[in-house]
Amino acid sequence: MKRSDLLSLLGGLLLGLAAGVFYSWGINPLAYSETTPDSLRERYRQDYYLLTALSYLKNGDLDRAEERLESFQSENLPADLSRQAQTSLADDRPVIEARALAQLAAALSDPQSIVSAAVTATPTPSPEPTEPLPPTVTPSPAATRAPTSTPGAPYELIAQRDICDPELPAPLLQLYVRDANGDPIPGVEALVFWDGGTDHFFTGLKPELGLDYGDFAMTPGVLYQLELVDGQYPITGLSSGTCMDDTGQSYSGSVELLFQQPTP
Amino acid sequence: MSKSRLFLGILIGVAAGLLYGWLLHPVELVDTTPDSLQENYRMDYVLMVADAYSLDGDLQEALVRLAALGPQPPDQIVITAINYGIDHDYNQTDLESLNTLIIQLRSLPDAPEIQGP
Repeated sequence: MKRSDLLSLLGGLLLGLAAGVFYSWGINPLAYSETTPDSLRERYRQDYYLLTALSYLKNGDLDRAEERLESFQSENLPADLSRQAQTSLADDRPVIEARALAQLAAALSDPQSIVSAAVTATPTPSPEPTEPLPPTVTPSPAATRAPTSTPGAPYELIAQRDICDPELPAPLLQLYVRDANGDPIPGVEALVFWDGGTDHFFTGLKPELGLDYGDFAMTPGVLYQLELVDGQYPITGLSSGTCMDDTGQSYSGSVELLFQQPTP
Repeated sequence: MSKSRLFLGILIGVAAGLLYGWLLHPVELVDTTPDSLQENYRMDYVLMVADAYSLDGDLQEALVRLAALGPQPPDQIVITAINYGIDHDYNQTDLESLNTLIIQLRSLPDAPEIQGP
């Protein structure tokens, strides 16, 4: 083969290669169809997480929730869900969304300790059906995770103590909520009130600190009142105390509250 | 002779480019939208929207979520999911969730048009 032939062949090869890649990437790439949830854009991935959590909150079926999330290659799905729950709260999204995400995060972290998540909710009353129900299929048994809490029993304050921990970055209102057996209950909403403000948080948003744990950063010198949504009564007069470290320096302390459901 | 070599080179190059672009290193499927999901995931997505609606009762939110599945009317999307659910033995609770949603969608005065992704 002459040198000019070889150059022509190589030149054509390069031109053709460029044209082929341009066509297959730019002009006619593989169709975006038949995809799986793990390829979803971040925004839709979060929607998918949220919908999975809401569905879990409704039916309590953890196996199904896990199936729905199995295509996502997250290293720490519970942490992702917890972060999303906190973002949801910060964005003033409906409380049920944070609650659902927290419940699912907690359930995925420790499936053995989870209480039954299923809730009964009734949206706007339905008018008469405009279409008959589809043919009945054999109902599947509901999810069977034995609830360990006493449904409906209000939480009681069991213990309250001041905490001096110089490792904490800020004075915290630390909350623990447990059922009658002493097992942790995630997804419990706590309301915090102070002069001129109010906020709320949930247990279970920091699974690494316990499914029954939730906290709220206090401002020193401010008096707080805490009330669980399903609690018996508000706890008043909560404030950050003064602590001393080993060198005699003072710092603001935290408050720990333990709530538990009464034994039936 | 050089022209035929050039032509041959182009042909081989195009073939190699297509092989590389479609098979060896195809465009990565990232940043997709729910309308590109496989059918089973799409139908499950509709079911989750129906479950969410049964919790929050927010029909507008349900419409927005369904719009992510494409330009079809939302009630058609739900009907498709109901039929899929019947064919795939969804349990009664799931079918009731979907049915509740379709009833509410059909009670709307005019099906609003919501832009898909």
